[in-house]
Amino acid sequence: MAAPDSPSTALRRRDLCSRGIRLAGKMRADVVDLLDTYVEQQGLDASASVAAVEGVPLAAVERWDEQTGTQRLLENLAAYRAFRALLAQMLEEQREQLGEADAGLGRALAAVLLQVSAFAYHLEELLRLESRGVPSEEEDGPPPLPRLSLFEQKLRGLGVLRELAQWAVRSARDLRQLAKPSPATGTGPGLAESP
Amino acid sequence: DSHIQYERVGADVTMKCGSMDWDAAVTWTANGTDIDESHLNGSYLILKNVDLSQSGQYSCYEGSSWHLKYQTNLRVGTPPKEPVLMCRSNNYPKGFYCSWHLPTPTYIPNTFNISVVHGTKDMVCEKDAVPKNRCHIRYIQLFSTVKYKVTLTVTNALGKNFTTLTFDEFAIVKPDPPESVVAKPVPNNPRRLEVSWQNPSSWPEPESFPLKFFLRYRPLILDQWQHVELSDGTSHTITDAYAGKEYIIQVAAKDNDIGTWSDWSVAVHATPWTEEPKHLTTEAQITETTSASTSSFMAPPTTKICDKGAVVGS
Repeated sequence: MAAPDSPSTALRRRDLCSRGIRLAGKMRADVVDLLDTYVEQQGLDASASVAAVEGVPLAAVERWDEQTGTQRLLENLAAYRAFRALLAQMLEEQREQLGEADAGLGRALAAVLLQVSAFAYHLEELLRLESRGVPSEEEDGPPPLPRLSLFEQKLRGLGVLRELAQWAVRSARDLRQLAKPSPATGTGPGLAESP
Repeated sequence: DSHIQYERVGADVTMKCGSMDWDAAVTWTANGTDIDESHLNGSYLILKNVDLSQSGQYSCYEGSSWHLKYQTNLRVGTPPKEPVLMCRSNNYPKGFYCSWHLPTPTYIPNTFNISVVHGTKDMVCEKDAVPKNRCHIRYIQLFSTVKYKVTLTVTNALGKNFTTLTFDEFAIVKPDPPESVVAKPVPNNPRRLEVSWQNPSSWPEPESFPLKFFLRYRPLILDQWQHVELSDGTSHTITDAYAGKEYIIQVAAKDNDIGTWSDWSVAVHATPWTEEPKHLTTEAQITETTSASTSSFMAPPTTKICDKGAVVGS
């Protein structure tokens, strides 16, 4: 069992978590706005059900409250790395299709991509804080994305943004769990223990 | 062979006297009272355009022997209209409940059947003993983009109807109102009121799933509310109250990230602290006032808990 935190580590984690929660909140707001724009401009139906799209990390999780802190961080990191690649692909596809015709959507996509990258880095910092090995990109990197038809690309984009909006909420919840002081020592629990 | 016979309001009803011939001499009673011959066609009882008041026990007796030949309980009612269904999570992330009612009564027994599907998974909806028209579903998955589909079917002897709700996990999250709202004057501060409250007891994990709050207050003499949103903590000091005016105060809650605002809490009333009036008094009264004023310096809170006040969104 990992030794509980030193006060400075707990303080540092608390700080990283609260900044991460704010970043997740901002990211979610921007993703929800982007989702509305995306649906409208791609001519999609906002209420359409989108089956799980290959390569898009699902935010849905069972027994979420039983996860350890490490599980939370590793799953989050893997997800945001995948979103980084997916959003980059979306941006590229979007430029190919529309060129500069719709710079607004492109800028919004790029802004969210930036936030996703920042959040992934934030998660890596948290893992480093716990002297946890940060998985290398290859080890953790998403599989290459299949080339899709235009309509399939649009549906995948919808699926990506929807899942990212859910992940942003999940991440804020995960970080709140991590930030919770350990009942015993009043400092942050070792990551392995924190449910 | 007594049994129950259901008929729609407005229907024409014909009752045969069991196995008796059409031309047999019989007597019909409704709840023990003889029925006028004008309602008979031979031994058949004819009831035109029945209404609710004609529900009751109908009996047919053979003319001479007074043997009971037929008995039925006539229940006049209506088929169910489309039920009204509502689903809500007031204890997120534990689960959600669905409750339902019929827009108009049917006057006859109805049975309700509810099905809850999440993607392709059927979920169990545990019915409450009381109230009967409610059941609970436990979240198995959190943070899902897959929608929930709830279908409620209502059936009675005269017909069947159903309604369906489709929603996202986050959309139905609506906490209960904050509890234990207290408002107190702040001694020596004629324009301040201290308000405190508690998370709704039904909200299971306020630490991991924090609530934010919305406070509204106004002097009784005005209609215009003032609002303040508070992203954490369960207390607030109003600093711009009109001196000496009684205030009405309410609080609402919402999950920090998802869902909608609760209804407003019960309203509480309070009046800011006011200076004790100074009198031109004789020596005797000064000593008396001095001893009295130390005890009255701390003006007793004028908080009065009122009945349920206005509701968010109404």
